[in-house]
Amino acid sequence: MKNFALISLLWGAVAFAQVPAEMDGMEYETRADGTFLIGGPTYAFDRVMGAGGVHSESELWTPAKLRNRLLFNRLSGTPDWTPYEPSVWVKTGNELGDLIYQDFITESNRPDNRTPILEGGFRSPSFMGFWATVRLFQDDHFCSGAYTYRRDAVEGNYSHFGENWPMFSSAYGGLGYTNSLVNASVLAGEEYLWFYTESSRWIPAHYKPRVEARADVGNLSVTLAYEDIEYQFKPKKEEGSRKELNGSVYYKCGKNCQQGMFQISAGMAFRAVDDEGTVYTELEEDRVAWPFMELRVQPVQRLTADVTFGVNERDWLVQDSVEYLAPAPEKMGVVVGVKNISGSRLNPLADTKEFFDGHEIDLTADGQMNLVQAYAAYVDTLGGIVSIGGRGSFWAEHGAETFDVDAYEVDEKNGMKFRYGDVSRINHWIKGLTAEMWLNTWYGDMFKFTAMTGFEHIDGPVNQAEVMPVEFYSGFMGDWLLNKTFKISHSLRYRSDARWNLRFSDPMVVKGDWVWDASFSQMFPKYGITLTGTLLHVLADEDVETVNGGYDRIRFICQAKKTF
Amino acid sequence: MGNLKKIFLFVAGVALAAFAQSEPMDVKDVAFSKAYIGIEGGEIYPFGDLIDAVYNTYYGGFNFRYSYWKNVDGVVMFHYAYFEPRPKAVPYDGVHQASGKLGLDWNFPIIHPVGLGGGFACNWTRADLDDGVKKDLIYNKPGGTLGDNETEFGWYARLNLKILNLENYRIGFNMMWEEIWTLPKRSDMLYVGLYIERKLW
Repeated sequence: MKNFALISLLWGAVAFAQVPAEMDGMEYETRADGTFLIGGPTYAFDRVMGAGGVHSESELWTPAKLRNRLLFNRLSGTPDWTPYEPSVWVKTGNELGDLIYQDFITESNRPDNRTPILEGGFRSPSFMGFWATVRLFQDDHFCSGAYTYRRDAVEGNYSHFGENWPMFSSAYGGLGYTNSLVNASVLAGEEYLWFYTESSRWIPAHYKPRVEARADVGNLSVTLAYEDIEYQFKPKKEEGSRKELNGSVYYKCGKNCQQGMFQISAGMAFRAVDDEGTVYTELEEDRVAWPFMELRVQPVQRLTADVTFGVNERDWLVQDSVEYLAPAPEKMGVVVGVKNISGSRLNPLADTKEFFDGHEIDLTADGQMNLVQAYAAYVDTLGGIVSIGGRGSFWAEHGAETFDVDAYEVDEKNGMKFRYGDVSRINHWIKGLTAEMWLNTWYGDMFKFTAMTGFEHIDGPVNQAEVMPVEFYSGFMGDWLLNKTFKISHSLRYRSDARWNLRFSDPMVVKGDWVWDASFSQMFPKYGITLTGTLLHVLADEDVETVNGGYDRIRFICQAKKTF
Repeated sequence: MGNLKKIFLFVAGVALAAFAQSEPMDVKDVAFSKAYIGIEGGEIYPFGDLIDAVYNTYYGGFNFRYSYWKNVDGVVMFHYAYFEPRPKAVPYDGVHQASGKLGLDWNFPIIHPVGLGGGFACNWTRADLDDGVKKDLIYNKPGGTLGDNETEFGWYARLNLKILNLENYRIGFNMMWEEIWTLPKRSDMLYVGLYIERKLW
């Protein structure tokens, strides 16, 4: 149907570049269309320009993130425990710039040691529906972030392999069962990771074990995880533990349901924790339950209204939108819509307090936030090989979540900056105007090219927000598929300055820069083999993008995969 | 780097990709329809700053070549070399290097004996330490970082001249430029070697 094709084109420019990210869940590192500041594989500020508001996307709870990992207040895609398709794979890479033989002739200013990435695993073909999987994955990139602080904070190497104190190191194994109706798995593993907090600290968490069970039966999805987490801070001889049970039950509107005028999905997410000793965060009453409902109403084909809302005794959150597909000449599509997010907290499942050195940080704020956005998007397909599109929006946000700083602290020895205070709100209106345009051109499945650019003007006290987002971006993405078996993907992009306003007394400006990513894949479809080499973050200056975060360096990653 | 240069690089990438032409045959059936195993030996010449870092050395190893497209072969190479350092301050005799390479060879349609190729390289190195030498104690000396395993990636481009092409055997000449992405500067070397190859299937 024409409309569906057009709608997919309307959002086509927002599609990811086809350059694969270094780890599942880190797709923001290859995106052009917004502000993506990486502290490490377990922390990034990720804001898509067209989304409006001043928050990071991963800080906002949505039903789509039910199976993401909750790391402090973020629903992180990494480390991802989603089982792969039946295959065997290995992946390795390195931040470029070791010395090797340059070491013989380089006496001063020797560069820091560069650190690798490691992954290997398999998932067996199914036998009577049953399968087994094992996976080890560890990302040592960005480990320069707070390196000495983290090294001295814990006993031992704090990873499965090597001595780099990586931001995460994970290993799991498990069994699963798949048939046409059921997809279920139980995985158990051990994991080391560091999560980033409001005080700008990296907190070590050792999961031993972490057990996660998932079951999808028809339209019902159930997830249950048990986590036995150990915390420590060696300089103060502090130790603590948390036993956590979390998960969700989710009924999603299926095929039959989607035929109707009212489409309802519903579910509940929950956490329960039991803390002992020194634990650096707290969940009020040690538990949270979050029932939620999604409703879609489509009174006529062209008009769609969506509401997602959740509520419990502490918080409420509503996300809704109304979208109208306007009548337009053939080969053109026009959509106008309004979107609203209101709530007492962006992520109602997150912990409520953070502690350190006798300081207490309240992670909840009184009152509520309201974000309203009106937008219009259009696409015009010119002759079947070129399409142009654009999207403009106006948004206004009141009560945006931010941080009210009481004091800053410097750890001179480790070059770290900390802050104290409480999560609070900007009780003023911040307004934004966005304009984005893109051009797509393609030739069969052999060639695809996208050029895109976006501009945003923000008005209001945005200096009170955690991050001042970029004002301007542009991106050029090209994918070639040669002889159906060799794929080349490029992404060249620019973003303007972004700024951390509140993490230290002097705001930290992340300078605007060009970045080039390129990926090459040899494919052997007859044998199910794919060999991929990927260069990430070429051309750009090697820079720290988050306070106490690691350097975003040029890195090369290669992967071999054989599917069964 | 100037924006113009960046855009030029991007355009160059486009041009490179435009090289390939579609083939009438089903490409899925060409891949791995022929495969060859070979042995290769030769000499490695350091270039640029590296001339002051290591002596020329010999290398040897295995190659595996397979049909990928009609005029394009896939190549996997594994070569070993032992590098002796030039500066006297380096506290050991040499460095073991294992180099793995993965790439493609494009056979000139008109001048058949000539193939052009390129791909990625991954070099693993480790110093040949005497027994009892503590790697932590030499870490800050020249070459100290190689006391532990070090791996670095890079790219190569090569000229493959087929001297003798028989039904089941091939003898050829391999001239290969390798650049490894090291700091503070990139490391360039030239490989020149002879290989003999046997058809597997």
